[in-house]
Amino acid sequence: MAKVFFSNSSNSNYSNNNEQKSEECHKDTGDSTGHNRAKNNGEGQAPLTVTSLSWFQVLAPSIQQLVVDGLQPYLSEIEEIRLRIKRPLLFRLGDLELTVSKDRKITRRLEEGQLVSREDLDQTLQILSQHSLYAWEDEFKNGYLTIPGGHRVGIVGRAVIAKGMVKTLKEISGINYRIGRQILGCADKVLPFLLKNNRQLYHTLLVSPPQCGKTTLLRDIARQLSNGVEAFDFPGVNVGLVDERSEIAGMYQGEPQFQIGMRTDVLDACPKAQGMMMLIRSMSPQVLITDEIGKHEDLEAMYQALQAGVTVITTVHGDNVDELKQRPNLQTLLQWHFFERIIILSRRQGVGTIEKILDGRTMERVN
Amino acid sequence: MCKLLGAILILLGCSYWGWKISSLYRKRTELFRFLQNGLTMLEAEINYTATPLPLALERVGRKSNRFCQALFLQAAHILQAQKTVSAGEAWQTGIAALAAEVPLSKEESEILQLFGYSLGGSDKEEQLKNIALTKKQLFIVQKKAEEEQGKKQKLCQYLSFCLGAVLVLLLI
Repeated sequence: MAKVFFSNSSNSNYSNNNEQKSEECHKDTGDSTGHNRAKNNGEGQAPLTVTSLSWFQVLAPSIQQLVVDGLQPYLSEIEEIRLRIKRPLLFRLGDLELTVSKDRKITRRLEEGQLVSREDLDQTLQILSQHSLYAWEDEFKNGYLTIPGGHRVGIVGRAVIAKGMVKTLKEISGINYRIGRQILGCADKVLPFLLKNNRQLYHTLLVSPPQCGKTTLLRDIARQLSNGVEAFDFPGVNVGLVDERSEIAGMYQGEPQFQIGMRTDVLDACPKAQGMMMLIRSMSPQVLITDEIGKHEDLEAMYQALQAGVTVITTVHGDNVDELKQRPNLQTLLQWHFFERIIILSRRQGVGTIEKILDGRTMERVN
Repeated sequence: MCKLLGAILILLGCSYWGWKISSLYRKRTELFRFLQNGLTMLEAEINYTATPLPLALERVGRKSNRFCQALFLQAAHILQAQKTVSAGEAWQTGIAALAAEVPLSKEESEILQLFGYSLGGSDKEEQLKNIALTKKQLFIVQKKAEEEQGKKQKLCQYLSFCLGAVLVLLLI
């Protein structure tokens, strides 16, 4: 019995059915126009307009034009926009990949799509970096940057190496916009399994293959635990969020672009292990939230959290528990029985399908 | 009586004209000094806070004197308003705005143009090198402009006064 906490975009027929989506477009420029428009759209009123979308503002004008011409009805469903040099521009909506043909029509036949040119990439890069490559040195080194609205843009090209380490990227050949969405309330169905009682929480691990909505779920867990959950009489707790890849809170110029709760402290772009220890010492969190653990030093940090009585909620890439047992560091964590709850996600019935929730000690299903 | 009044007016007019021209020399030395200050501020914006150019140029512009303001604010404005324009092109329009206020020689505007070409297009280290180089060149230009000012400011004022005096004598 799999539960779905996201509305199912992959099964929807793409005929202007934005109203089915419960997603909230995030605050774009400090106001809530995006949010209101999405709602209005749901009531069959004014359509979602491109100008209300923060990611649209950082596309090259030529690409913007293609979006306006071909993709207006699907704006709220775009999950990825991929620009690969001399190859067709790709939009991913759920499991569907679309492109815009040379006569500005939307099509699933990718070979007919408009090709991305060097100028498109250069312009995009200029807009993304605000003409200031020096301001994004670390981001280029890591291959991604965060844009207003908390979306992430990945970049590939030719690596420039200095002293054996990647110094920066040049000859950029591919850019990928990952449109992050916040779905308020998507954690409702898992929260009952995280609460030990109305004061304490279980150490929890979310296991999921890529693009199954782990980050979105984690974000809503952070928000609800931080604000408190009235239904379970759970008062809000201090949440420490180590956001190494700037995906959970989507920090842009020091401000979270997503709702992460009123008692949440964010250490942005900080290595996980180091960040967890810093937060334990500096902000006295009751809950530590971070994503994609797996390095050796993470073990040490989690041990420290255990000593300090801090609950850890984190994620890992994977399909199932057996797969995790193959990986040395995770195997150790599982052997310790560190995690009391293991939640396994998939997209079997759409993004965010909850396959099962396990008790970490007995490995038996609890849902 | 009329003659005397006319003579005085001619003398005053010519002196004012001379003073106007000579003040350009003063403005130019001031400009090069302030440009170096502006670049130092830009250096801090780039090196310490890694502020992107549109905002960095605006901040520097607001703190600069009138002539430098034209350059920095115009470039910042263009970058903020037009996405596809490059930083070099925006800087170029800034130089044009500056040249409208203070006369620049070909050599001087070339120094500024060269600076614009690599503005924003490389890492911190390279940006700082570029700023340091441009500051050095501007310092040399400033020294030249000061020399020129010393020589020509007085000369302009005397000459224009003499011209006035000659005109008066001729007319009397």
